[in-house]
Formats: sequence, C-alpha cells, structure tokens
Amino acid sequence: MSTSRQLSESRAIPTKTVLINDTTQLPHDYCTTPGGTLFSTTPGGTRIIYDRKFLLDRRNSPIAQTPPAHLPVIPGVTSLNVLTENQKNEANNHVNNHDGKPTTGDDAQFEMDI
Amino acid sequence: MNNKFDALKDDDSGDHDQDQGSPKDGEKEKNEDEEKEQNTSKKKMVVPGAGEHPLQYNYTFWYSRRTPGRPASTQSYEQNIKQIGSFASVEQFWRFYSHMIRPGDLTGHSDFHLFKEGIKPMWEDDANKMGGKWIIRLRKGLASRCWENLILAMLGEQFMVGEEICGAVVSVRFQEDIISIWNKTASDQATTARIRDTLRRVLNLPPNTIMEYKTHTDSIKAWEDFHGLVNASGGR
Repeated sequence: MSTSRQLSESRAIPTKTVLINDTTQLPHDYCTTPGGTLFSTTPGGTRIIYDRKFLLDRRNSPIAQTPPAHLPVIPGVTSLNVLTENQKNEANNHVNNHDGKPTTGDDAQFEMDI
Repeated sequence: MNNKFDALKDDDSGDHDQDQGSPKDGEKEKNEDEEKEQNTSKKKMVVPGAGEHPLQYNYTFWYSRRTPGRPASTQSYEQNIKQIGSFASVEQFWRFYSHMIRPGDLTGHSDFHLFKEGIKPMWEDDANKMGGKWIIRLRKGLASRCWENLILAMLGEQFMVGEEICGAVVSVRFQEDIISIWNKTASDQATTARIRDTLRRVLNLPPNTIMEYKTHTDSIKAWEDFHGLVNASGGR
C-alpha cells in the first residue's frame, strides 16, 4: 500500500571504462561464474562444465573407488590398488619396508583460481 | 608407400631424439589378432552409471611405450598403442585414473593419451588430419601435476572451443616430459589462441615456460626429413 514516501535522489550507476589492448590485461577473475569458466561465449551451445574443485571432490565417492571392469593389467602402468597422491608409495612401502615418507618427486600443488 | 601418414606413426610429440623406434615391447607374447581387437572401437556403449555425473563427451585412455634405440620402422603405430578403457562420467574417470600410475612415475619412453571416444590418438585419424597441438616441455617433476590439471580442464570443458578439442597427451622422455593438447583445425587461430589462454590459466606453469603450436602436417614433414624419407627433389 502506498503511504507517503520520499523519493531518493536518482543517479546513474557509476561505471568506469578501462581500455585494454590484449587479453593478458584482463583481470584474473574476469567474467567467471562460480563453477564456470573464463569465457562468456559458449561455442556449440550449453555444455556440461565442471571446475577442477568439483571434479577433485568426486574422487573419493564410493562409486569412484573400485577398479574399472576389464582394466588391462600393464605392470608399471595400471594397478588394481587405488593410487592417490598420498598413497602412491604405499605399495612400495609395504613391500620394501621404507618409512611412510610422502613422495617429494613433484613440486607442491598450490591453489589456483579455477 | 601409398599414404604419407604411414611413415609417421612413430612420431612422439615432435622429438627428434635418437630413440625413434616402435617395437612391441613387452607384448611379444600377445598375438596380433588380440591386439587388433583391443584397439578397434569397442562395440559396447559406455554410459554414465546411475547417480554419476555425465561428461560432455566420452573419452578413452591409451598407453604407448617404445624401447629406445630401436631403428625407426614403418611398423604400424597402431600396434604400438593400447587402449586402457573408456568412460562417460566423472566417477568412471576417477576409477581409471586412480588405478593408473602417474606420469611422473612411468619408466622409459612412455605416453598416456586421453582422447574423445572415436578419435584415435594418431595424426591420420579424420579428426586430427587438419589439426595441430600445443606442446609444453616440462622439466622432470612437473608432469604428474600438469597432466592432471590438463585433463581435468579438458574433461570439465574449460577450453570452450566447441568441438575442437581432440585429446591430450603426456610424453615421458629421457630428460624432460611433454604435455600436449590436440585440436581439429590448426588454421583456426581464434581456437588455438583460446586454448593457449586456457592452458596458461589452468596449468600454473613455471615462469618462462614456452608453449609451442605445431600443426600435425609440420610434424609429419619434420619426421620425414629427420628419417631421410624425402630426397633432394622432395619426392620419395
């Protein structure tokens, strides 16, 4: 219901125009949506998009644990034991009685803005 | 040879090191029929399971390995590369990936290939004939992390280039590792630029890492020259 009301002063939405000459000048999070991508256009129409975090989070779900049916056995390439970043030396540790030292073969991961 | 592509099936990401060979390492006991059957497209459709998260495309993992020192031969590249399996969902992907050795732990001259179902990881596949690849050479120690980030970006449709992505490869070599991503149309500069920008964003590469784009046709020419398959007048 309308009662007496005060109109606030109207103003245009403040904007700022920045000229860029190259895509490298775009802010790191330009045009991103949570769980989305950098790009504002979707060539080929709507697509199924997953960001890295979402994919990594599915890794530990129960249906992702069992070895696939008919996994070819290639020694040194495939394994019926689940290999994760933390466990990759576990099989060796059991066999060789090494200390359970995490591998330092790779550089550490650090957070990315995906 | 009838088809210039026949000679080139041994190429490995543009390397011209000495070990261009294609023996059936470790597979001598398998008969050829069994290998062929495994490498032809599976007749069974792969579909996401109940409660699983579907991917935009189905993908297939492949593995190949060569013993260095063997002379180059025209033996079929197709015999040297082996399918590991196909998947249609995020969970199915993890089931494979979690049961595969990480590239940094592979020995010898080995490659993993992850390509859309129906596209063979070979230049002469229809999807690759007019295509090319971005290649990134990495010092030892980075391949596992970069490969994982690359394939997560590919599976998650982060490249945003329509149908252009064909697949990705990680190549373990003597003193370096190489990751590459293949697309269908080498001449489509908007696509290749967009792929490059996405690679920069998702891979978090060391500074000064060089990314190089190579058309498969150029790789073919380079391989031919290296192996002396082209005589002075450009013929064979």
